[in-house]
Amino acid sequence: MTALVKPRTLFIGLGVLCLLATWLSLALGPVSLPLLDTLRAALRLLGLPVAVDGLEQAELILGQIRLPRTLLGLAVGGVLALSGVAMQGLFRNPLADPGLVGVSSGAALGAAFAIVAGSALGGVPEAFGPYVLSLCAFLGGLGVTALVYRLGRRNGQTHVATMLLAGIALTALSGSAVGLFTYLADDATLRTLTFWNLGSLNGASYARLWPLLLVSAGVALWLPRRARELNALLLGESEAAHLGVNVEALKRELVFCTALGVGAAVAAAGMIGFVGLVVPHLVRLVAGPDHRVLLPASVLAGASLLLLADLVARLALAPAELPIGIVTAFIGAPFFLYLLVRGRA
Amino acid sequence: MRLNIRAVALCVALLVNQGASAVDLPQRWVSAGGALSEWVSALGGESKLVGVDTTSQHPESLRALPSIGYQRQLSAEGVLSLRPQILVGTEEMGPPPVLAQIRSAGVQVELFSATPDLPTLRGNLQHLGQLLGTEAEAAQLFDRYQKQLTQQHTRVVEAQRKQKAPGVLLLVGSSGGKPLVAGKGTSADWLLQQAGGHNLATHGGYKSFSVESLAGLNPDVLVFADRALSGEEARAALFRENPILSSTRAARDGRVMELDPTLLVGGLGPRLPQSLVELTAGFYPVESATAP
Amino acid sequence: MLRAQSLHIQRGRKTVLADIDLVLNPGEMLGVLGPNGAGKSTLLAGLCGELRPSQGQVWLDDRPLAHWPGAERARRLAVLPQSSTLDFAFRVEEVVGMGRLPHQSGRLRDEQIVTAALQAADAAHLHGRSYLALSGGERQRVHLARVLAQLWPGEAGQTLLLDEPTSMLDPLHQHTILQAVREFASRGAAVLVILHDLNLAARYCERLLLLASGRPVALDTPRQVLRPEPLKSVFGLDVLVQDHPERGHPLIIAR
Repeated sequence: MTALVKPRTLFIGLGVLCLLATWLSLALGPVSLPLLDTLRAALRLLGLPVAVDGLEQAELILGQIRLPRTLLGLAVGGVLALSGVAMQGLFRNPLADPGLVGVSSGAALGAAFAIVAGSALGGVPEAFGPYVLSLCAFLGGLGVTALVYRLGRRNGQTHVATMLLAGIALTALSGSAVGLFTYLADDATLRTLTFWNLGSLNGASYARLWPLLLVSAGVALWLPRRARELNALLLGESEAAHLGVNVEALKRELVFCTALGVGAAVAAAGMIGFVGLVVPHLVRLVAGPDHRVLLPASVLAGASLLLLADLVARLALAPAELPIGIVTAFIGAPFFLYLLVRGRA
Repeated sequence: MRLNIRAVALCVALLVNQGASAVDLPQRWVSAGGALSEWVSALGGESKLVGVDTTSQHPESLRALPSIGYQRQLSAEGVLSLRPQILVGTEEMGPPPVLAQIRSAGVQVELFSATPDLPTLRGNLQHLGQLLGTEAEAAQLFDRYQKQLTQQHTRVVEAQRKQKAPGVLLLVGSSGGKPLVAGKGTSADWLLQQAGGHNLATHGGYKSFSVESLAGLNPDVLVFADRALSGEEARAALFRENPILSSTRAARDGRVMELDPTLLVGGLGPRLPQSLVELTAGFYPVESATAP
Repeated sequence: MLRAQSLHIQRGRKTVLADIDLVLNPGEMLGVLGPNGAGKSTLLAGLCGELRPSQGQVWLDDRPLAHWPGAERARRLAVLPQSSTLDFAFRVEEVVGMGRLPHQSGRLRDEQIVTAALQAADAAHLHGRSYLALSGGERQRVHLARVLAQLWPGEAGQTLLLDEPTSMLDPLHQHTILQAVREFASRGAAVLVILHDLNLAARYCERLLLLASGRPVALDTPRQVLRPEPLKSVFGLDVLVQDHPERGHPLIIAR
């Protein structure tokens, strides 16, 4: 059996990777800032007294554009990876993905509705535009997941297999509804919809960021407390129950955390795929399936990987920008196929 | 005493301002929206352009400029990396938070209306002229444009004495597949009407039709614009992907015309009068022999 | 102490188990025998609370089983199912360590118990291996170690329920495992074990419960239960019963 990386080594390594990715995300971009300027502007942002001469551009780029974008990337990457772990635990299958409970397609449906209805109503006031979109996406994600969960419940018990099928069916239904909205949309709305479906960290602002940061922090603090129960759940639901785990409550928490986390992430950044599937896998390959390590490590790994993917998205075609969903799909899909061919780890 | 000094100061200020205004004009331009970029070039601003979006394909030389990507999904930092002083675009430009970020960086962001009608065009040209310092040229360009359109109108009226206006459909697609039909309120609709055609599509905006309805409308002339292909390739692709179109009167009579899709983006553009001449020639074929 | 009182269990309209009155005594191994479909697994499910009885009740000490909170119950009652669907590459000691979930004994103590439990299940040499790389029999022993760890060190008041723990084991390990369970029971825990092999049941169990079509046919010592007539009527098998030459317990020989 291949030697696993010790938890301490893993966390140090991931911590360094995350810090590095954060720094690169702040220091690099289409606008080339001298390193010294970036450093000084960063120190100023932290509140340290630094001379301000000639720093306006650096402060603006760093403080208004790159910093919110980096925070968004950290939060979205972390929460998507965490939700991936939660779903793989719930379905007891390492190929599970947060989308299985319908949250992604529900969010897409909510966003499509907002985009098409908004243009049909003659446009939403510009100040509200992004908020309405995010809110609709979030509610759509929660709504569909709630429905999937409800469908999976019988006699006070949640049947995971039924949930899976309900998730597939509702994803298909949402997809058709989005298709209908696409048809009703005119060319302009169509393009907006397409780009939303590809995901982007573009246009991140502090105002839209804080709900996501709150939710991500909440989920990231909650789930690791259930790590041992999650481990037991992998034995099987009745075995976990025999070990004293309240299985129904745990399943409910997993679905809820995923719905909240992924809903908020999709609402803030559009659909970004493969992170929830690939990141937990990579961490498991390196450090084993123990959730006490897997959960926090996935947060760090997901955040780092998304920031690095965003760097590619921002720099590859500068001054234009690639939707980040394309980058993650480019990396994620071949990796997924590789896993399938090789047989699960 | 004080009055004198004030008067002198005022005169000096006015004089200084006149001279300074040329320096205050933005020198580094980024433009988004095909037609708008064409007008900037037509007004002599091409040398000031440092970046354009993907729809700005004319004049050809614009293609060599750095691309800021799709106009609805601009990257704030990307645009800022070109160190522009002004960003011009239509209301299609976005997303709004990014425009706000660009504004807060001190870049002038000017939004122009893409509504396809002459009053809008006049307003846009005036504004552009002011920003470029070529108001006189702008006024001239507009007058010429208006004249061309008046001539065009006369041409159409003449032609319609001898022939009925043909039923036309304008399809916009990519590599022949899934064409959208141009309806009311679009630049395409304006084009068709100015060219003397009768747009058979009564909906608003660009919508996708089932090919049966397309064939059912049985247009006399089909105009198509393909984003990916051009010329014979585009025509062949259109009929390959939508074979039922061959049953239309337009296809049977061989009255299928190609249109450059970049003419449809960003409002009314400078190349439209020329396309109108070609379209009218196609709509009223007998007339074409005697067109001025 | 685990006790079933007039237990009836139904699946839909069908009664699959009826008239079960059973007390699991501390330190005693009770074997459950019967043909396929006799209700053995149903009985186990009812005793551990997985299936709710339509009539009667299961008591753990002085309270109905359903009234026990999860972790508290798990410290007194452990269940080893017939097979496991664990599909993740945990290490053996991590799987066994899951048995310590209901306890707050700290990492060091848990590690000691895990090692001891693996030893007791004759799986000490599997320490450090990946669970997915093990054979069926090895996995079974790991799970046995897990439930032993759950109740470690075993004392009166605790109950261990085992569903065919020897089904995938070779003859040597069938005996080693049941011997380990017997030793565990001797420290005071009550054990109920479902077995298919009549001779194993005769050798290791102090009492036997014979089930047929969901009803108890006999509940007594092996000598009383394993006689040709009840065995013929329940299993449809003609047998000879003799004494084991060295150990003296009944030996069932098919005719």
